[in-house]
Amino acid sequence: MSSLVSHLLSLEAVYALVGTVLLVFAGLTFLDRRHSHRLGTGFFWLTFGVIFIFGGILPSWLTGLLVIAMVAIDGAGRVSRGSDDIRSTTPLQKGRRLGDRIFLPVLVIPIVTFATAAAFRLSGLDVSRGALVGLGFGSVAAMIVGLALTGGTVREMMQAGRRLNESMGAVNILPQLLASLGVIFTAAHVGDLIAGGIQQIVPDGNLFLLVLANCFGMALFTIVMGNSFAAFPVIATGVLVPLIIKPYGVNPAMAAILTLTAGSSGTLMTPMAANFNIVPAALLEMRDQYGVIKFQLPFALTIWSLHVVLMWLFIKFL
Amino acid sequence: MPEWLKLGGIAIVVIGLALRLRTTLVVVTAAIFTGLAAGLPLFSNEGIFANLPQLPLLVREGQTGIINMLGKAFADTRFVTLFIITLPAVGLAERYGLQEQAAALIRRFRAATVGRLLIIYQLFRILHGMLGIRLNGHPAFVRPLVYPMSIGAAEANLGVKTAGAVPADAAERIKAADAASENYGNFYGQNLSPVQAGILLVYGVMRGLGFEIGVLDLVRYTTPIVAASVILGALQFYWLDRSLLSAAKRGADV
Repeated sequence: MSSLVSHLLSLEAVYALVGTVLLVFAGLTFLDRRHSHRLGTGFFWLTFGVIFIFGGILPSWLTGLLVIAMVAIDGAGRVSRGSDDIRSTTPLQKGRRLGDRIFLPVLVIPIVTFATAAAFRLSGLDVSRGALVGLGFGSVAAMIVGLALTGGTVREMMQAGRRLNESMGAVNILPQLLASLGVIFTAAHVGDLIAGGIQQIVPDGNLFLLVLANCFGMALFTIVMGNSFAAFPVIATGVLVPLIIKPYGVNPAMAAILTLTAGSSGTLMTPMAANFNIVPAALLEMRDQYGVIKFQLPFALTIWSLHVVLMWLFIKFL
Repeated sequence: MPEWLKLGGIAIVVIGLALRLRTTLVVVTAAIFTGLAAGLPLFSNEGIFANLPQLPLLVREGQTGIINMLGKAFADTRFVTLFIITLPAVGLAERYGLQEQAAALIRRFRAATVGRLLIIYQLFRILHGMLGIRLNGHPAFVRPLVYPMSIGAAEANLGVKTAGAVPADAAERIKAADAASENYGNFYGQNLSPVQAGILLVYGVMRGLGFEIGVLDLVRYTTPIVAASVILGALQFYWLDRSLLSAAKRGADV
């Protein structure tokens, strides 16, 4: 019994749910006769669904080849949005009568997410996993609430979901693809090369330039990796500790956390952080896929400069 | 092979994105190039590849293959794409007027502007960080709620009566600001709780390097940056309000 519960509350169970939704999307695409790239788009989401459901048990070389197949389909320009323009048939009249109750389905998602995360914490389980599992079950709950509230059909709901998914397109696999690129960068020791390069340029003995180089290296490597968490160990090991903390006897907590968030400034500026910058642009159906990054650029450059000044001041006067 | 050749992968990404080539293709090409430049084989020496003659590039004893790494990392990071499961419910609610209703809701607040809404949303996300909750707000809040509310606020501010009448350029900037508000609140706010992944990462890495530091010290030293992120965000959103208004006035004069 407890093993059944733990299976149900596992990430793999939620992945299977997501995979099933993707298979339904793929099926609807195959049925969409007027779709401009029916087969390419269908096979793309079908493959993604298979990876979602079986990713935990497929041999990694096979998953890798399936990923390359998906990228090949997209590279050939065969992944596009469907023909159904659902907006033109929006049953808005019915929606008006629902009033503010239409918020219920979308509010169910964060409420269930938080409740599950809280339940995981109280039972001593991993909270982050609780939030992810909660997002999965919250979304299923939201589907049920939505159907009951609107009286819509499952097919209508899945078509609406497919329309959103296809309007975002192949961008949806980018975050996972970039995580893979990060793993290969790490295996190839690209970070050591960057840290070594910084060590060579920076003149010893000038504290301000060292702090500048540390924050610059962190932001630069985050821009490359798309992820400050991946960049931090490299910069901490290669630059921060040997060049700043040890020789100057600097407070390690202060220097370390400021280095991490100097990286966050880089995250705001890079398309490699696709889940924060590129996918949202697609989700909001923006014309310019770099629109979010362009908006964030002045903020990111300002707060990055503040990191340099703040770390230097802390070292000087603390 | 020279060491610097490994940086070719980064060059491929930069050039590929600059030329606006298909991003998925650019990323996979960069991954394979970087791996090969580092002397890694394409496949691990296991499974159906175990008994093959040891061809150069294909397999090498004791080394994990590039394709294997690609597949494993892709499967291991499925959690970043969980948001797909929210799409049917959000799509259905939008079909029955979610966006119109969110716009109507915000118009009931006379003082609401796009900028003020986004300042509040950023603070709301910082609160999540303090409570130790980490979630992707783009699909959960921004698309279904914040975005239609910000468009509704803009309609009220700009005196546009009909839905969908906010000029396309203004709508594009509002969308970018919606996403930015989420990122600002999420990135800097999450370090305010000692149970968050970023704090634990820094603690773990520094410990490995021989520095025993307190997680609460990390939280303490991040507060000036969180404060700066709130002030800078507020300034940017306030400017957005002003420029939306002046753009609308210019448009009205013509």
